[in-house]
Amino acid sequence: MRMLIEMMPTVLWFILAFQFVPRVVGNAEGDALNALKINLADPNNVLKSWDPTLVNPCTWIHVTCNNENSVTRVDLGNANLSGQLVPQLGQLYNLQYLELYSNNITGKIPEELGNLTDLVSLDLYLNGLNGPIPVTLGKLQKLRFLRLNNNFLSGTIPMVLTNVSTLQVLDLSNNKLVGDIPVNGSFSLFTLLSFQNNSLNKPPPAPPPPLVPTQTRSSG
Amino acid sequence: MMLKSRIFRIVLIYSVCSLLGCGLSYGTPTDIACLKNIKASLKDPYGYLTSSWNFENTTEGFICKFIGIECWHPDENKVLNIRLADMGLKGHFPAGLRNCTSVTGIDLSNNQLYGPVPNDISKIITFVTTLDLSSNNFSGPIPVDLANCSYLNVLKLDHNRFSGNIPPQLGLLDRLKTFSVANNLLTGPVPNFNSNSSFGADSYANNPGLCGKPLEDCTSPSQGSHIL
Repeated sequence: MRMLIEMMPTVLWFILAFQFVPRVVGNAEGDALNALKINLADPNNVLKSWDPTLVNPCTWIHVTCNNENSVTRVDLGNANLSGQLVPQLGQLYNLQYLELYSNNITGKIPEELGNLTDLVSLDLYLNGLNGPIPVTLGKLQKLRFLRLNNNFLSGTIPMVLTNVSTLQVLDLSNNKLVGDIPVNGSFSLFTLLSFQNNSLNKPPPAPPPPLVPTQTRSSG
Repeated sequence: MMLKSRIFRIVLIYSVCSLLGCGLSYGTPTDIACLKNIKASLKDPYGYLTSSWNFENTTEGFICKFIGIECWHPDENKVLNIRLADMGLKGHFPAGLRNCTSVTGIDLSNNQLYGPVPNDISKIITFVTTLDLSSNNFSGPIPVDLANCSYLNVLKLDHNRFSGNIPPQLGLLDRLKTFSVANNLLTGPVPNFNSNSSFGADSYANNPGLCGKPLEDCTSPSQGSHIL
């Protein structure tokens, strides 16, 4: 009993101290987005509401969450942003829409974006991105829109992308891509329009026509 | 001397503007003209196009919000797909499509379109990957030029009044995954598609005189309406 009374002040002190521990530790998604904010120059102050001390980023403007307070959309198209993307974007595990088009973002596309397995739309078009299209994007098995056009992307088009069977809209035009244009798998749907203004190899000439015939005739 | 330098300046400005414009892709003012033309050429008894296709407020990407129109990018007037199925539309194959230079998907099924399919169709919709004209009143031949639409993955011509032969050259379409000409007035041999993509009897059903695998063999050079 006496020991308990003696311990009281210490216990009270700890309880008091914890009131002041910032509650940031909770939210990895807020941290990830904050890392992006730090890496971007934002002259129009579109990221003004991005306050990392909040319990989650779901009240931040241009951020959308689901019912479980996990980020599903980042909408920053046409926002006059510059700077670079960050690998932490790969931690937004429920992200479906990453809209960063029409900015002045430079640097590489982080390969960590391949971890965003719920991603439906990846729009990085009209920026200053360089480096390759990460092979890891082949892991995005729900991807429907992949628009990377009008950047300075180099290297080849990863063949694994032909295994993304959900792809509906592909635009890789106006980059510095080299190598062959895949035509198999999901890429059967994509025409020269998706690949214009690169240094890609012209598709091989169509194979000679098979004997087109009239069908077998049976004797009367 | 004055004139020369003026001409030089004009040429310089023009070149710079062209180069700047070069960075952008196909489409834009032509795509607006395309849709205007399509709307003008079709009767729209239920008013789907009349109400939705409004050309007055011309902001960037405004046509992308039109009913039946899907754009390449939400903020650029460049048409990717046109889906006008089941709208009671009447008229000919819309020649205005020629100006939608980046269109890949076209679905005009279940309407009341009639007349022939243009015989230079590959110049009108060069990059088409899906063409669904099924359930209309199209007539005349299936144009040989369709074989030049080399990106075709889906070609649905069923439930129309196409007549004559199926052009054997359609067998050259090496991306074709879905093909149907059922329920038409076609005769003659079924084309030889390569083995990966031969189509079942359903694709050819209900025509008066089609023959050859997967249907009954053809029995005479000009297979008419008799099949043994």
